[in-house]
Amino acid sequence: MSLFNFIHAADIHLDSPLHKLDAYEGSPKEELRHATRRAFENLVNLAIDEDVDFLLIAGDLYDGDWKDYNTGLYLVSQLRKLREAEIPVLIVAGNHDAASKITKTLRLPDGVTMFASNKAETTELKRIGVAVHGRSFSSAATTKNLAKTYPSPVPGCFNIGLLHTSLNGREGHEPYAPCSLDDLQSKGYNYWALGHAHQREVVLEDPVVLFSGNTQGRHVRECGPKGCVLVTVDDSGRPATNFKPLDVVRWGKIEIDASGADGGYGVVDLVTEKLSQLLDENGGLPLIARVEIQGSSPAHAELAGDVEHWANEFRSAAIDVLGGDACIEKVKIQTSYPPATGAVRSKEGPVGELNRCLDSLESDPTELLSLGKTLEELANKTPRELKEGEDGVNPEDPHWVAEMIRHVRPMLLRRLLRKGASQ
Amino acid sequence: MKILQLRLLAFGPFTDATIDLNGGNEGLHLIYGPNEAGKSSALRALRQMLFGIPTRSTDNFRHPHQKMRIGGVLQHSDGSVIEFVRRKGRANTLRSGDDKEVLDDGLLQKFLGTMEAEVFHTMFGIGHEDLVRGGQEIIRGGGNVGQALFAAGSGISDLRQVQADLQKEAEELFTPSASKRAINEAFAELKRNQKELKEVELPGQEWEKHDRALRKASKRKAEIDEQLERKARERNRLERIHEALPIIARRKELVRDFSGHVDAVILPEDFGERQRKLVTELQIAQSSRDQALQSIEEGRRDMEQLEVAEAVLENGDFIEYLHQELGSHRKAARDRVQIATRRDVLRGEAREVLSRLRDDLTLEEAERLKLKKTETIRIQELGSQYERLVTRRESATEEISKLTSGEARLQKKLELLASPRPVDDLIAAVERAQEYGALEAHSRSEFSEIRNAEEPLKSALSRQTLWSGTLEQLEHLSIPSLETIDKFEKKLADAEVDVSRVNSTLSDVEAELLEIRGDIESLRLKQEVPTEEDLDDARQRREDGWALVRKAWEEGQENSVAVTRFCESVQAGGTLADAYEKSVQRADGIADRLRREADRVAAKAKLLADEQTRSAQLHRLGKQLEEARGELTQANQEWMAAWNSSGISPLSPREMRAWCQDQRAISEQMSKLTVRRAKAESLKGEIQKHLSDLDQCLQAVSEPPSTEKESLPDVIKRAQRVIKKHVELKNKKEQLLFDKKARESELQEARVKAESVEAALTQWQRDWEEALRPLGLGRDAVPAQANAVIDELKDLFDKVKEAEVIQKRIKGIDRDAEKFRHDLRELAGRVAPDLGELTPEQLASELNARLKRARSAKTKLESLVKQEEKLIQKCDQAEKRFSEVKVELDAMCKEASCAGHNELPEAERRSSMRRKMEEELKELEKQLRKLGAGATVEEFISQADEVDADTIQIKIERLGEEMEELGQERSDLDQTIGSEKTVLKGMDGRASAAELAEERQQILARLETDVEKYVRLRLASAVLARTIEQYRQKHQGPILERTNDLFSRLTLGSFEEIRAEYDEQGEAVLVGVRHGGKELVGVDGMSDGTTDQLYLALRLASLEAYLENNEPMPFVVDDILIKFDNDRANAALEVLGRLSKKTQVIFFTHHNHLVELAESSAAVSKHSLAFAS
Repeated sequence: MSLFNFIHAADIHLDSPLHKLDAYEGSPKEELRHATRRAFENLVNLAIDEDVDFLLIAGDLYDGDWKDYNTGLYLVSQLRKLREAEIPVLIVAGNHDAASKITKTLRLPDGVTMFASNKAETTELKRIGVAVHGRSFSSAATTKNLAKTYPSPVPGCFNIGLLHTSLNGREGHEPYAPCSLDDLQSKGYNYWALGHAHQREVVLEDPVVLFSGNTQGRHVRECGPKGCVLVTVDDSGRPATNFKPLDVVRWGKIEIDASGADGGYGVVDLVTEKLSQLLDENGGLPLIARVEIQGSSPAHAELAGDVEHWANEFRSAAIDVLGGDACIEKVKIQTSYPPATGAVRSKEGPVGELNRCLDSLESDPTELLSLGKTLEELANKTPRELKEGEDGVNPEDPHWVAEMIRHVRPMLLRRLLRKGASQ
Repeated sequence: MKILQLRLLAFGPFTDATIDLNGGNEGLHLIYGPNEAGKSSALRALRQMLFGIPTRSTDNFRHPHQKMRIGGVLQHSDGSVIEFVRRKGRANTLRSGDDKEVLDDGLLQKFLGTMEAEVFHTMFGIGHEDLVRGGQEIIRGGGNVGQALFAAGSGISDLRQVQADLQKEAEELFTPSASKRAINEAFAELKRNQKELKEVELPGQEWEKHDRALRKASKRKAEIDEQLERKARERNRLERIHEALPIIARRKELVRDFSGHVDAVILPEDFGERQRKLVTELQIAQSSRDQALQSIEEGRRDMEQLEVAEAVLENGDFIEYLHQELGSHRKAARDRVQIATRRDVLRGEAREVLSRLRDDLTLEEAERLKLKKTETIRIQELGSQYERLVTRRESATEEISKLTSGEARLQKKLELLASPRPVDDLIAAVERAQEYGALEAHSRSEFSEIRNAEEPLKSALSRQTLWSGTLEQLEHLSIPSLETIDKFEKKLADAEVDVSRVNSTLSDVEAELLEIRGDIESLRLKQEVPTEEDLDDARQRREDGWALVRKAWEEGQENSVAVTRFCESVQAGGTLADAYEKSVQRADGIADRLRREADRVAAKAKLLADEQTRSAQLHRLGKQLEEARGELTQANQEWMAAWNSSGISPLSPREMRAWCQDQRAISEQMSKLTVRRAKAESLKGEIQKHLSDLDQCLQAVSEPPSTEKESLPDVIKRAQRVIKKHVELKNKKEQLLFDKKARESELQEARVKAESVEAALTQWQRDWEEALRPLGLGRDAVPAQANAVIDELKDLFDKVKEAEVIQKRIKGIDRDAEKFRHDLRELAGRVAPDLGELTPEQLASELNARLKRARSAKTKLESLVKQEEKLIQKCDQAEKRFSEVKVELDAMCKEASCAGHNELPEAERRSSMRRKMEEELKELEKQLRKLGAGATVEEFISQADEVDADTIQIKIERLGEEMEELGQERSDLDQTIGSEKTVLKGMDGRASAAELAEERQQILARLETDVEKYVRLRLASAVLARTIEQYRQKHQGPILERTNDLFSRLTLGSFEEIRAEYDEQGEAVLVGVRHGGKELVGVDGMSDGTTDQLYLALRLASLEAYLENNEPMPFVVDDILIKFDNDRANAALEVLGRLSKKTQVIFFTHHNHLVELAESSAAVSKHSLAFAS
């Protein structure tokens, strides 16, 4: 017999686009549009359908550098629906919200509580005996331990701490509002609803300390189901958590071992097979997949010899086999020549000369750098967004150039020896 | 590595075909296949044998993929050999030579080295297209040395194209200053996107501003609305009062008038009308009653006059029935007359038939003659049976006579036929002889050929002089073998060489000795040189002297004898002391000279020693010479002895070898001829034998034997004709005998048949007699007669039967007529006894007329009765209504308080007057209530009384003006509110900015792909350029040096060399040097053919350079010479021949003229392609 229930969500990042995703012909374009908004709508509808007693949002409603006030208006229009359904909403501002200009002017509707940032506050929901404690970020880079400023639990109530924090550090996330697990445990609350880390994580079972993760994956580092946590508290005051996916499109990564494939089309089959498997695993939800092909393979020369061609082959095969339900975000071909071929690679004659030249280049950073210099004009015009991150495209970076050079050998050999290959 | 065998086991069009490249250790292999002979398939097979068959091979049109096989035998340069079979597949495609087990791929690795399939095909394969393209590319590249060397070295003939493609593809993606390039466009799109985002982005303050303005306007609008409402209320009130003033006045008048009508009785509204209607009804009822009573009286009078005949009515149905039957009755009477006539005619005819058959019987008795059905059928059957039997008897008789005459004819033919002779032996002899028939001519020509062949041999034998004898003797002549001759040749030569060698050494040594002696003499002539012996001698003498001196000195005595001898020896007279002194001086003198003339001493000593050595040598050589001469003689003697048995005195071994070879050739030919002759003889014997066999057999069948003129084939032909004649004769006789026998048995059958027909006829006669008995015909009556009687009888009985049927019908008609008459009479007696003696027809008509009259009278009576009832009813009703109306009128008088019916109209008028006044008053009050808006009439009238009637209109107008002003302000506010709302509605949380952010990510995604592609292309371009330059630097010198010679050869000397010069841009480019070294020709000045040759020269030079450091691989040439003229093709073949000393060269062509060209070249082995071995 449940006493009450509520939803814990965080990191909505409204209107944050899906990163570097080309909506090519045949990809599920409609599904990819406004994904974060539609995931948020799913959250609102879930709260109404489940008739929850309240909704918690542990920070980061929108991207910090996002300026369009329409996003805020949209948020308000959705929150109004919850007001109509008489569901109170409690929010702490996260680092992104603190940085956002939208937050400063937006008037939230009645029934929505935004916790203050100068001190920790407590909101009591007397009807069901719940006390929610929270404190918003005042600025983006908040490095103060906010948890320590939270008040003591209200006796006789189910006490919830609503906090945007990196805890003791979360990979890929700034170390904001750091605190230790001990800090949280020692407060004597029943539930800590955390936000900031985009990966869902149950940090502790009793009391529950939990990152709900973000509501919609936006790039390949945010793979798998994304959503919120529906918490049901029973007579004995024990919270039971239940993950509810909200995302409208899901990110996945496919790693293919091509060492058994003897040609490009063999790899195409492997890709579609895995893709269809992944699609099944995700219950047919539209899928965005990163494809990484590895292994020393007889197909290396073919694949690496024309990377774009094969990326297109994978995409059109995916359309043929799976219809428009899945799209391939990017194909990374990281294969290498099979060991046997490597040993017999020609060392003499002009082709041997080419092999030697490439061998020496691959292991010579200064040469790579000087080659990179010849691409300066392009590098200067390349926007910053493209250069950043682990996938960054940076002609000035010798590692990146080395990565490109790895595909030059098969490409050149394929073009030079096409007469030989035509037999 | 080279290919020893290429086995096209199952590949393309080939099945079990083998190209054997084993013959000829090196040299050019020319594989010739005309068009469609599978040249290209074989070429592919060669490569795929080495490196595997591709997954999607199309060479499976004859052999399916899993059956495809190519075999090979390869030899490594170290001599090791591998034999294997290649199958198509993904793994384990290398199999043992017998295709039974899988081989490890590594086994082949040793033979292929570091060679990859594509590299092998490119570098070690050249086709005509490559050649042309290679040449053209050199021209297009302006003779660029780096490109030319790299292209020719690798065999990549389209290198420049590859470079150009890389460049072009890169530039299509990005060019710094262009705009229509994918990457440039993406940059521009990003800028546009940024700008659009700025435009659609909604700043928070903007929204706040409009929100505030809207709220302010809304508040002011609410205030105005409230004022307007108040003013409208007041104006409405005044307007209502203004409207009510005349109504109030009228109401007052009405209240005053009403008092005069207060006592009037209020009657219902329809009272007047009702009263008038009742008076009218009263009068109508009265007149209706009177009319009815009169009509009743009239009806009763009519009824009394009507009369109805009841008895006729009672029998109405029967009368009608009889009246209808009257027609049938009349028709039956007419029919009876006709059918009675018919009956009489039939009876007459029957009697006539009967009288023809039996005149003793009446019609009634004729029944006895009736035949049973079975009897009739029996007679008919026997009739047709008789026909058949008669026909059969006739045909049997006819057949017997025909067969008898045929048999007689055959017998006659047999007697005339000659009798055949047995020819089996002759046939056997012909068969045996036949195969020799054709050989007879051959045998004759063989003999003459043998004779012709012997002639030259004999003359050759007679021309030589060493030996005389016949050819047969020559054959058995025992002469030393060639090996023995070789041995003697060597032995004799060795012995001669030995002699001459020793001789020459001997003369050398003699010359040396002579020289030495001359030198010694010359030394001696200059001055005698003391020798060591001279010194020893002098010293000895001195020592001897010293011993004497010492003895004398120590012992004081002298041995005079000894002293004297000593003195003499030193050639000194005088004393011992003098002598001794002299001996000391002499010894010292010699020693001094020896020291002084040491060189001359040494020279002399050496010369002396040399002289001694040479002398010894000379002596030894003398002996050796003697031995050598002995051996030579010995060898000569052995040589002679070797020929002893043949009685030939030989010349030198070399001459004898030639002689022997000649003789041996003659002898070999001779022995061949002998064998041939023996064969020819034996053949001739066989032929003769067969001829005599044939003769014997011919005589046995009384044919003449063969004559001299006839050849064996002639005799065989004649014998065959004889055989044919006798065989035909024999066949004919047999045929006749067979036919005769057949006729005899047919005749027998025919006779049997005739007898059986006769027996059947006899039986039939008995049956016929039996069957005819009931007809009363005799046994001689024929079937036709019997059938006629049967037909007559049938006719008779048909007529009798018809007459009986008609008789029965007449009886029926008579019975019906009697009944009709009786019924009629009985009826008339009952219902109309007055009619008495009328005919039945009259009676029926009269009765019917009476019935009709009676029915009409009855109907009329009934109608009158009904009419009377109705009239009585009507009269009663009128009476009743009259009294009802009267009662009602009385009631109305009472309601209106009137004394009589005539007062009623006045009462009605007063009542309606009162009602009208009341209604008007009610209406006025209703209007006042409406205008009073909720107030009672009295309240409203008192409100109106309070208002000044004269100013009310002005007040109303003022209020209207105020309201209009407020309305104007309100509408302005509405506009403000509307526009602000529109603005805010536009700020609806729309996602256009978010969409632009999404679009930006899409552009970035495409840009990323394009940038990566661009970078790869640029890097590839750079790496390739770098490689080409490095290769040029390393190889330019040696390769160009080799190219010179090849180029000069290929151009038939029209160019002397090829060299690198620097052009205006400082690039190294190739130029040709004309013969004589004076004229330089750039590649653009060379003809197409020349650049082809230049490219070929560069290819071959690079290949040779490669082969210096690497395991050789076969060079596969695909018809490159099709455009070369014969001289140049020859030159190219020669160049390839030279290359083939370094590595195997396999040249595929389908041009026969190349094969012919190659005929003149010794270093070429030729192979033809065929689909199966």
